[in-house]
Amino acid sequence: MSVPAARPIYLDHQATTPVDPRVLAAMLPFFSEHFGNASSRQHAYGWHADAAVDEARQHVAQLVGARPKEIVFTSGATEANNLAIRGAVAARRARGGHIVTVATEHKAVLDVCASLEQQGCAVTRVAVDADGRVDVDRFTAALRPDTVLASVMLANNEIGVLQPVADLARACRAHGVWLHTDAVQAAGHVPVDVAALDVDLASFSAHKMYGPKGVGALYVRRTPKIEIEPELAGGGQERGLRPGTLNVPGIVGFGAAAAVARAGLAAEETRVAALRDRLLALLQHGLGDVTVNGSLAARLPHNLHVSFAGVDGEALMTCLADDVAVSSGSACTSGSREPSHVMTALGRGAVTAWGAVRFGLGRSTTADDIDRAAASVIEHVTRLRKMSPVATGAKA
Amino acid sequence: MTAAYSAAVRERCREPRRAGAWPDGDRAVATGSAGSLDAGALTRLQMRVGPDGRVEDTRFKVFGCSAAIASASYVADALVGATLADAKALAAADVAAALDLPQEKHAMALLATEAAGAAVDAWHAAARAGVAGSGTKEVVS
Repeated sequence: MSVPAARPIYLDHQATTPVDPRVLAAMLPFFSEHFGNASSRQHAYGWHADAAVDEARQHVAQLVGARPKEIVFTSGATEANNLAIRGAVAARRARGGHIVTVATEHKAVLDVCASLEQQGCAVTRVAVDADGRVDVDRFTAALRPDTVLASVMLANNEIGVLQPVADLARACRAHGVWLHTDAVQAAGHVPVDVAALDVDLASFSAHKMYGPKGVGALYVRRTPKIEIEPELAGGGQERGLRPGTLNVPGIVGFGAAAAVARAGLAAEETRVAALRDRLLALLQHGLGDVTVNGSLAARLPHNLHVSFAGVDGEALMTCLADDVAVSSGSACTSGSREPSHVMTALGRGAVTAWGAVRFGLGRSTTADDIDRAAASVIEHVTRLRKMSPVATGAKA
Repeated sequence: MTAAYSAAVRERCREPRRAGAWPDGDRAVATGSAGSLDAGALTRLQMRVGPDGRVEDTRFKVFGCSAAIASASYVADALVGATLADAKALAAADVAAALDLPQEKHAMALLATEAAGAAVDAWHAAARAGVAGSGTKEVVS
């Protein structure tokens, strides 16, 4: 999976990942050869598709410490988040209508909460500390007798910071609150065990772990059993929680991606963290005034999120475009001229917030990629700083 | 979903012409700026005015996105040889069109022309005060 020299070095693996060739090979027969509908119980075409979905469900479950029956396939993580939050709120209407979430959540959680707020729910958005972490006591203080659900991501999509979800789950358990975690960025990159985390609901996405786009999953706890309401009405697929003909090739790809990730997770976690640390060291050595946004210790191994003082992240991206593909802010918001809500939540000043760049390393990233990317970043940041009116502590 | 930029913007961002600043105290230099760091873009433009009242040379500094940099660089180029009246009249819409800026980035062209207008204002203010140029005096649009 080496990147041809003519293409920019891809360091945006938190936006999406390429489909692993092993995943693609597993998927291909399910487009035109084994094309059956997994719900067709009457013939071999359907049986074959159904068996493949079962196998994929096992792989996904194994990756995240769930049982296969606890996995509901969806069209992606946004749908999984919607199903989890709206479904839980609808199912627990008798208890109340208060939701607790965190200021740095993905829009696919925050916007769902805001939508429910307009429909009469109350929403508390817990602040994070300067490292981007949720304080357990502050979180616990937000839980109320009418709180039906808390939603806290396992790893942040911008700064890669890991939240103490297991600790938050204990607080939720004590207060009778269900806990959902958006585990999209974590799964396949760090060990994820929904049973050990003691969460009730968890969202996953295939394309963040070298699987195809357009397929995700929601873990729905069965012991003790959580019953949420479906968003869609239709056939009885996915035990009625997600009706609609199953995306068999996508689900097969998700399963294959989960299996590949699980087999290589420990080694890849170590390898990519070393490359990330190498990148940071090179940038700090070549440039002064480099701020790491969020905790470096409690962070995904493949994430580096930094601000180069005096430089706008978007301008840097444009300069780097021929050499390195990175992201400034999250991919969903960098088209608008608003500072990232995550950087704002960290309490960063305007210049630091605008200067943020996310490097997302991946399975194909090599030490040579890191060295070349760092050299390019240093060259362009140095040049952009020379034309910046903002004084920095940069190296001359 | 970064704005899709034209080749002109990308080129000016990677290799901006007239980037930099002159040292304080040059009485032939007027400085204007527009925007703010809090708003995400600050453009500062300097013009050196010749004895004939025309702009001899320019420099700019920008903290901001690619469109802000490209706009400032374009305006800095366009001002050379212009009368102060022409510099003041430079239209943001023309800058945006020349750079084929996406609609949502037209405000960055406006920053550049406002900074140019502020520099002209600075020059006139200095002239009224009886000094040849504003030097370090800066007019903020």
